Amino acid sequence: MLGFVERTVTQVGTTMVTIAREVGGIVVMTAQVLRALVPPSPASLDGRELVKNLHKMGNRSVPIVALTAFFAGALMLVQSAPFVEKLQAHALAGWASGYAVLREIGPILIALMFSGRVGANNTAELGTMTVTEQLDGLRALAIDPVRYLIVPRVVAMMVMLVALTVIGDLVSLVGAAVVGKALLGIEPATFYHSVVDNLKPGDFLHGVYKSIAFGGAIAITSCYFGVTVKGGAVGVGKAVNAAVVAAAVSVMLLDFFMTYWLG
Amino acid sequence: MTREHPDAPRPLISFKAIGKTFGTKQVLKDMTLDVYAGEVLFIIGTSGVGKSVTIKHLIGLLGIDHGEIWFDGKRIDPLPERELAPVRKRIGMVFQNSTLFDSMTLAENVALPLRKHKGMRQKQALAEARARLQQVYMADYADRYPAELSDGMRKRAAIARTLTLEPEVVLFDEPTTGLDPVNARRIDRLIRELSGTHGVTSVVVSHDLVSIFTIADRIAFIYQGGVRAVGTRAEIQGSPDPVVQQFIAGKASGPMETPGF
Repeated sequence: MLGFVERTVTQVGTTMVTIAREVGGIVVMTAQVLRALVPPSPASLDGRELVKNLHKMGNRSVPIVALTAFFAGALMLVQSAPFVEKLQAHALAGWASGYAVLREIGPILIALMFSGRVGANNTAELGTMTVTEQLDGLRALAIDPVRYLIVPRVVAMMVMLVALTVIGDLVSLVGAAVVGKALLGIEPATFYHSVVDNLKPGDFLHGVYKSIAFGGAIAITSCYFGVTVKGGAVGVGKAVNAAVVAAAVSVMLLDFFMTYWLG
Repeated sequence: MTREHPDAPRPLISFKAIGKTFGTKQVLKDMTLDVYAGEVLFIIGTSGVGKSVTIKHLIGLLGIDHGEIWFDGKRIDPLPERELAPVRKRIGMVFQNSTLFDSMTLAENVALPLRKHKGMRQKQALAEARARLQQVYMADYADRYPAELSDGMRKRAAIARTLTLEPEVVLFDEPTTGLDPVNARRIDRLIRELSGTHGVTSVVVSHDLVSIFTIADRIAFIYQGGVRAVGTRAEIQGSPDPVVQQFIAGKASGPMETPGF
């Protein structure tokens, strides 16, 4: 009995220490990134790395984001179709889909997709650089890995997640309109007016603010777990796993608190 | 056995009683060693004895637990990361695994420090990088990625990249390990030329007995966390210490304690 209690306490204690260490590391990395960016200067950000990452993380994610967003929007209409039919609320279908997509479904789904595609890739790349001493190689050349590698990635992820969310919102609404027409015979013009007459800029901005926060969370966690890898290829695998889980948890927590605060 | 360089009474680099422990394993125990300007000093010893750890301390890639490290009259071991940049510009390091950035071509690898520290634009830095690669006979491979090249080629490119900042001291971590004899001797010649022609101080971690007894000015033998013997090639070869003799003769049996065997 005593052995079981001892083991349980040890396990809980070890887990708590690990979580505290990881959270502390993420906070320190956030501070390092902010210190590099504030005040802004030409030395803060490597332009070539930024452009490379914007292209790699953003442009190449457009097809998968568009595909996900189209079906997410379509799904909104499929789920609401029976009620729209029952209540004959065809003129509100656009508003209902748009409200859900712009404020919640769009930012969340695209952030999770972005985390799986871009965040995991980022952790694997930085992790491999860490275990092959490429980060030490940078430091030995008097180049700060935070300024040269981390800051451009954080900025690129935040900018590109917002851009992808805006694209995804539009594609999602197109998906909803297409299914609305196919299932319920809602004319695109009716759908359009339902969206623009009932939704406010604040609904759109609500999703944009969330995307900025989600982008920052995904970027910092993926970079942190990448540069703290230990133990070769196995360590890189574990780091990618940890980064994806940490990003998903962060996104959900941020979504809850931001929805509460932003109203 | 200790010996001071006759022409340079004040060492350029001094490790003073440094200690380093990883977990429960104490790697360095009060290790003391001086390096003089312009010399080629080899640090030798069995695997895991702390040779690479010693040189990584010099540019702050690892922190010592106790002791002091001095460079050019200034204590550098307590410096925070952001204040180490000037030291790292003066002390370059060529890693055992080259550490070329695998997402960049060789020219881009060599151009990076030129762009970041010499204020060159990318086009100018790439042109300069090709010239630097030519010095190590790698200009024909300037547009290739590290993964497409052999270990020897990568090491030569890594040396070119390190030399872009024209460091006063270059740390070589096992520069000839894994190379064929021809390439190994070319690397030896390059290290010797750096010292002879440019006055660069080289600290070389190596197991390669041919290199050691061909190009070293002095040799420091690390054993059980400290410097067991230091001296010229002749002094080390003539050392009466049976542990030193076992190492340089490459004998499997003898007084040397090698954990794990």
